Amino acid sequence: MQMVLIYTCAIFRIESAVSAAEPSPSAPSRRAFWSRVVLAGPVVFVCAALVMCGGALWLPKGAAQIDNLVVPIVLFPAIWAALFFYACLDRRLGRAWGVVGGLSVAHLALIATHLMTSGAAA
Amino acid sequence: MIRLSQERTKTLLAIHGWSAVFLGLLLYAVILTGVASVFATEIGDWSSPLSGKVEDPFPAGTDRMIRGLAATVDPEFHEELFFFPRAGGRLWAFFHKHETDEDGKPRERGVAAEFDPRTGAIIQRVEGTDEAIEARDEANALAHFMVDLHVRLHLPNPWGLLLTGILGLAMLVAAVTGFVVHRHLIRELFTLRRRGDRLLSARDTHVIAGTWNLPFAFILAFTGSYFSFGSAFAIPAMAMVAFGGDQEKMIETVVGHPPAVDETAAPMADLDAMIADARARSGAELSFVQVQHWGRADALVTVFPRYRDGELSTLSYVYGGADGMFRYAKPALGLTPSTGGALFDLMAPLHFGHFAGVWSKAVWFALGFASAYVTITGLLLWTTRRQAQRGWRHLAAATHATGYGLPLGLVLAGWAYFPARAAGADVHGAMMTVFLLTLALACVLAWRVTEFATARRALLGASGIALIGLPVVRMLCGGPTWPGAFDAGLHTIIAFDIGLVIGGACCLGTLRRAPHSAMQKTADSDALEEAAGV
Repeated sequence: MQMVLIYTCAIFRIESAVSAAEPSPSAPSRRAFWSRVVLAGPVVFVCAALVMCGGALWLPKGAAQIDNLVVPIVLFPAIWAALFFYACLDRRLGRAWGVVGGLSVAHLALIATHLMTSGAAA
Repeated sequence: MIRLSQERTKTLLAIHGWSAVFLGLLLYAVILTGVASVFATEIGDWSSPLSGKVEDPFPAGTDRMIRGLAATVDPEFHEELFFFPRAGGRLWAFFHKHETDEDGKPRERGVAAEFDPRTGAIIQRVEGTDEAIEARDEANALAHFMVDLHVRLHLPNPWGLLLTGILGLAMLVAAVTGFVVHRHLIRELFTLRRRGDRLLSARDTHVIAGTWNLPFAFILAFTGSYFSFGSAFAIPAMAMVAFGGDQEKMIETVVGHPPAVDETAAPMADLDAMIADARARSGAELSFVQVQHWGRADALVTVFPRYRDGELSTLSYVYGGADGMFRYAKPALGLTPSTGGALFDLMAPLHFGHFAGVWSKAVWFALGFASAYVTITGLLLWTTRRQAQRGWRHLAAATHATGYGLPLGLVLAGWAYFPARAAGADVHGAMMTVFLLTLALACVLAWRVTEFATARRALLGASGIALIGLPVVRMLCGGPTWPGAFDAGLHTIIAFDIGLVIGGACCLGTLRRAPHSAMQKTADSDALEEAAGV
């Protein structure tokens, strides 16, 4: 429970800092706070996982026919870090949701299409 | 100097501090045990030596040892075989088949044996799943205790791996934000105000160690989270998408040489000749041998050499198991060099630091120690500033209990290992019990004292004594004495003992100095730390 409280405090402080950067400084709204908590935490993690898995379907296979499988796994921490910092630093929270959500939906659709196609073929 | 707006700097500063506070103590545990794990091989050699030095873990006669074991193993376990050197130079061989457990996760089941390469005699033979066999392994138990704590905090899979993966990501965040928010990076590499305020000096030490360590912390965090997430969910998830959930198929594809199936029985060719050929081709010592389909016409033998000096990747050499002929050399992944294979190759040497023998390991040990120092001093600075508030005092107590209690727990696990092994008791249970009891006592001490300095002195002093006493415990429980080790050529044992005694002396020497200045709260500390951004 203490860890959850600390995490909440952490995001609150981050949200305070981001809010302070906005043109009309005001106390961070509770809604914006929780929205960024959800975005930078679980949503970004799921998005990074979807980008990694979806990468297997659109990345080139390379000379050894393995790059599409290996590169996304090796670069997963970088994918997550890029999305995390973007979600934390974008001053327009709605745009951050749009970018992260769009990436997630696009890759989810790609994976679903692939699974349905391969399922039908089998 | 990295130019950022004031607002962006403030945001990154908040992320930097809170990412460390949120997971700092667990991260410290992972880093500290990682520091010990750098020398996992040496810990195994030190804690479980054979009676003499093993000059070559793959001697002429390896073929006879493996062939003899194969004759006693149920043919269903001939599907795959690994053999490689382990603690004390023992040659460990595992004939097994692949199966799935009750939850559908892949596992291995078979027969494992430990050989003394000097005589070819079997030291121990066990049967079961890979997990059960590992649990009965006593020779490597002390090293495994450290490694398992580092890799998954002794939590069941996949939760432990997921947690350490998240810790790796938190460290990555701290490293990246640390790099960006230190606006005067070059100057901070050399700034130590010893004559100034003690808290300022402590802050400078933290920043210097952290700044010098930033590239290394980034590498460790990146590779560490890759290793944790890779096996915990990346491979299963990727296999689900690309191979309909068949992980074996995915690994077979990525490794790159599924043998053409020919189940015709065929005697195995001479393994000694293949080992000698691989040595000549690679110009390096060998680390690992894999045999697929022992005793069949489609058998393949893959020999993995160690890194040659100055190289971060190596080729493996593939032979026909039935005819013994060299087939091809290949990268670790795929049959030809590739971007993915090159990235994969870099991960292990960058994380384990084993690419240039004991020297690169020593550098990794030192840098890892600096990372642990940065983590714990950062937490001490952060909590000291806020210890007047009740909630933060709890975190300050936890920081002291973990910061000083964890090293003591690890050393006392060693104290439990030797007597338990000598008495024939369960070494894993003994080590875990002593380790947890030590942590519990450290917590009681940290929460009950009025001054944290008292807990620090008690735990640090106990660690010093425990480190100095550990070689004595080892010898009293049947381990070789220094003259005996010297005569037998077991120099690792003597070097390790000396390292422990020096470490213990350093702990005791630290006690002679005043308590860490981070713990001395001064009147203007808040202002100082606000300025320092800690």
